Amino acid sequence: MMTIRPVHHFLAARTLLRLCFVLLPRLVALFLCGLLLNASIARADVGFEPGSGQLLLQRPGLPPEPALLQHSRFAVQIAGMVAVVRLQQTFENTSGDWAEGVYAFPLPGDAAVRHMEMRAGGRRIVGKVRERQEAQAIYQQAASSGRKASLVSQQRPNLFQNRIANVAPGETVSVELEFVQPVEFAQGRFSLRLPMTLTPRYIPGISLPRAENGAAEASYLAWHAATDQVPDAPLIAAWQHPRAGADALPLNPVDIAVELDAGLPLAQVDTPSHAMRLSREGSRYALQLARGPAEMDRDFVLRWTPATGSEPRAALFTEAVDGDHYGMLMVVPPALTQADTAIPRELVFVIDTSGSMGGVPLQQARHSLAAALDSLRPADHFNIIAFDHEYRSLFAKSRQAVPDALRQARRFVSKLEAGGGTEMLPPLQHALQQGLATTNERLRQVVFLTDGAVGNEQAIIDMIAVRIGASRLFTVGIGSAPNSWFLREAAALGRGRHLHVGESSEVSTQMDALVDYLAAPLLTDVRVDWPQAVAEAGGPLPDLYAGAPLIRSVHFNTPPQVGVIRVSGRLNGQPWRQELELGDSAQQPARGVGSLWARARIQALLDERYTGAREAVIRANVLAVALQHQLLSPYTSFVAVEEQVSRPTDVPLKPDAVRNTRPGGQSSQGFAYPQTATTASSKLFFACLLLFVALLFWVMRGPELDHVPDDAKR
Amino acid sequence: MMPSVNALRRPALVLVLLLAGWQLWGAVWIHTKAALAQYLLVRAWDSAQREGEAQKPWPWADTWPVARLQLPTLDADYRVLAGTSGQALAFGPGLHEVFDGAGGRWAVIAGHRDTHFGFLQSVQPGMALWLEDMAGSVRAFQVASVRVVDSRVETLQPPSAGPAGLLLVTCYPFNDWRPNGPLRYVVEAMPSPAVHPLARGSMDG
Repeated sequence: MMTIRPVHHFLAARTLLRLCFVLLPRLVALFLCGLLLNASIARADVGFEPGSGQLLLQRPGLPPEPALLQHSRFAVQIAGMVAVVRLQQTFENTSGDWAEGVYAFPLPGDAAVRHMEMRAGGRRIVGKVRERQEAQAIYQQAASSGRKASLVSQQRPNLFQNRIANVAPGETVSVELEFVQPVEFAQGRFSLRLPMTLTPRYIPGISLPRAENGAAEASYLAWHAATDQVPDAPLIAAWQHPRAGADALPLNPVDIAVELDAGLPLAQVDTPSHAMRLSREGSRYALQLARGPAEMDRDFVLRWTPATGSEPRAALFTEAVDGDHYGMLMVVPPALTQADTAIPRELVFVIDTSGSMGGVPLQQARHSLAAALDSLRPADHFNIIAFDHEYRSLFAKSRQAVPDALRQARRFVSKLEAGGGTEMLPPLQHALQQGLATTNERLRQVVFLTDGAVGNEQAIIDMIAVRIGASRLFTVGIGSAPNSWFLREAAALGRGRHLHVGESSEVSTQMDALVDYLAAPLLTDVRVDWPQAVAEAGGPLPDLYAGAPLIRSVHFNTPPQVGVIRVSGRLNGQPWRQELELGDSAQQPARGVGSLWARARIQALLDERYTGAREAVIRANVLAVALQHQLLSPYTSFVAVEEQVSRPTDVPLKPDAVRNTRPGGQSSQGFAYPQTATTASSKLFFACLLLFVALLFWVMRGPELDHVPDDAKR
Repeated sequence: MMPSVNALRRPALVLVLLLAGWQLWGAVWIHTKAALAQYLLVRAWDSAQREGEAQKPWPWADTWPVARLQLPTLDADYRVLAGTSGQALAFGPGLHEVFDGAGGRWAVIAGHRDTHFGFLQSVQPGMALWLEDMAGSVRAFQVASVRVVDSRVETLQPPSAGPAGLLLVTCYPFNDWRPNGPLRYVVEAMPSPAVHPLARGSMDG
C-alpha cells in the first residue's frame, strides 16, 4: 500500500482549503445574483394587469370551439391489384345547437367513389349521384327545410368535401363512402396509400372582393377567400386544429382494418406508417391497428412483397357488371439491369422551401437532394433551384458536376430554410424553359421535391403539358401528407415517375429508386394488341421505367373470348414482346374493375384538355360516364336526403367547420405567430452578468495579493 | 507547478470584459439599428406617397414601408414594413398577414417587444389607432381588447364574426431576457367611426 507523505498531504489540504475559501464565496455570490435576476424577471411576469380587468389568458379570436367531432373508420378489402375501401365518417354534435358540418377530407387521387349512404338514428338513406349544381340545390333545399342531408363533392381529385345538414344537439350522424382504388406496384413491391389529412395548400393570387366570389356563405369556414388564381379557395382551405395531434389522444381518431388477399405467396407485409396487428389464414391476411384508434395526421401506407419466384409477370383482371365486361391488364417488364448508356445528363433539381415544408419535411427534402447529388456522374451537368414565394438558382446555368460545383451545391442545400409562400409556377417554368432553349445532346431531367401544397394545381399541370419539351419531370412527394394526385399527374405529363419520401428512413431507398428511374426509361414505344374489339380507358401508352408495370383498363365490346393479348415495345432499344392468353389462369375475376375502368375513362376525358378539347365537350362526356357508373367526378356529387323533417324551421342551423389534424412532423405554419423579440435583452442580460463577474474578479484581487509573497517564498 | 489562480486572474478578467463588451455592443447595435432605420423609413415613406409606388429605404433593403401606424395617446408613430422576417422586424414593425375574416380583411402587424412595439404594454382598450396606406387613405381603429396567447397552442386566426379589424402582435412578457418565448401579446383593434384630424375629409369639412 502506498503511504502518503505528510508534507504533500499537508500541502494538498492547504491548497484545497484555500481554493474553497477563495472560490466558494464567489460561486455563492454568482448563484445568488443569478437567482436575484431570475426572481425579478419572474415578478415582472405576474406584474402585468390589464386596465379593464378582463380575463387575460382567455381563448383568443379563434372561431368557436368546433361543435362537431369527427371520427373515421376505414375497412379495406384488397384482392389482387384492386382495393375496395369502405370509409365511414361519423359526426357527433357536442353543442346545444343544430349544426351543419362541413368537412374537407382527402382520398387517393385515383379512387373511384361509387357509393354513399347516410345513417342517423338507425335510419339508412342511400345517396344518389347527381349533376353537381343540381345536387347542391337539392342539398340546400333540404338543409333549409330542416331535413337531414349529406352532400359529398369533389374539389380536387384527391380533396373532397362532405356537408351534413341538420344534426340535432347531441346527435350522431354518419356517412359511409365506398371507393375502389388500384393497388400500386413498383420496385417489386405492392403498396396502397390512404391519405388521412391535408397539408394546407398555399393560395396564390389576389383576393377577390367578397361580393363577386359568390361563395360568401362558406367563406368563414375557410382560412382563405377566393383569389383570381384559385376561385374556389374557400372550398379547399379547411381549418386545422391549432395544436398537433397524437395517437394517445387523437383529435380526429381513425380505425383501420385491412383484409389482404394478394393472390400470390408473400414474403413480407408491412405498414411503415402505423403499428398494425397481423393475423393470417391461408393466403389471406388481416390487419388491425395494434394500439386502437390512431390520429389522422399522416397517410396510411401498406406494402406487401411477393415471395421470390412468384413475382407477377402479367395478369388480366375481369368483372362483368350488368352485362358489360371490363378488364384491367397488368404487364411487368422483365427486371433487366439498365444498359449503362453513358448518355450525358443535365439534372435540374427544384426544391420547395415554402412554409409548409417547415420541420421534418425540409430535412427529408435536404437529405434526398444530398443523396441525389451523390449519384451524379462527373460528365453530368446540374443545377438547383430553391423556391418559396420567390426562386433562386444555385448557378445561372447548369454546371458540370465537378467537385467544386458539388461542394457549392452541398453548401447551398445545407443552408436552405423553410418559410414564405409557394409560388410554384415561376421556378418550374424557369426549369423547363431552359430545356426548351438549349438544343444539346444531353438527356434533360427535372427533379421536383415538394409537398405539392398549392391550390392552383391545374394551372401548374397545364404549364407542364405545354412546356415539357424534351425534358422529363420526376416528382418526389415529401412529408406525412403530400398532395400525391398532383405530383403523380405532373410526373405523368412530364413523362417521368413519381415517388414518395414519407419517413426519413425511406430517403435512401427512394433515392436509389429515383437514380434507377433517372438512368432512362426501360420500355418505349409500347403497344397492346387485343384479340377482340375493346375500348381502352386511357390515352396514349406511356414509356415504362424499370420496376413499374403497364396498367390498362378496357371495356370489352363483346364478352371476352379465347385469344392472345400481345404487348410489345422496345426494351433497352431492342424489340420486346410478351403474350397473354385470354381465358387462361392469368385471367382473374376481381370486384371493382368496372368502376376503375370508368374512373380511368373520366381521367382520360379530363386529360383531353391538354390536347385542346373544349371544356363544354369534356364536361358532357364526363357527365355521361359518371352518371352511368354512379361515380363522383368534378361534375357530379353524391347527395342523400331524408324524407322526414327533423329540425323545426324556427330553430337556427349553425354551420361548423370540422377541423383536420396538422400533418405529423410539420411545424405550425402559415398563420403561425411571428418571432417578435430581439436578442438585445438577452445580450444585455449576459453583458450585465459578465460585468458582474468581472467586478467580482476585481474586488477579490486586493486580498489575494497578500498571499502572493507566501507563494513566492516557496 | 500549476499556474496559480493569480496568474490566470488578469487574462480571465480581460476575457470576461471583452465578452461583456461584445454582448453590450450587440444589444446597443440592435437598438441603434431599430431607431436609425425609422428615419430612413420616414424618408422612403414620404417619397413612396409622392411617387405612388413602394420605395426601398436603402438600396440593398429587402423590404419597404407599406403603411403608417399611429397611436397618438402613446406618442407612437411607425412606418410598417412588408413582411415579418427577422431582417424586416429589425428595422420596424412588419405587416405579417392579411387575413380574410367574415367581415373583410384583417391586417396583422407584428413588432419587436423591446424596440418598436414596446409601447404596446401601455395600450388600454378604447385608445384610438390610425392606419394609413400608401395611397394616403387613413383607417381609424379603436383598441377593443388586449390579451396574451400561447403560440404553441393557438395559431393566429381572425375572429369568425364581426367587422374586419387590426391585430398588433408582439412577444410577451415585455421584459423577459429570453428571446424566443412562446407567449404573444395581442392587441385587437376594431374599426371606429372617428376621423383622423389630418385626414383630407376632415380638412375639407
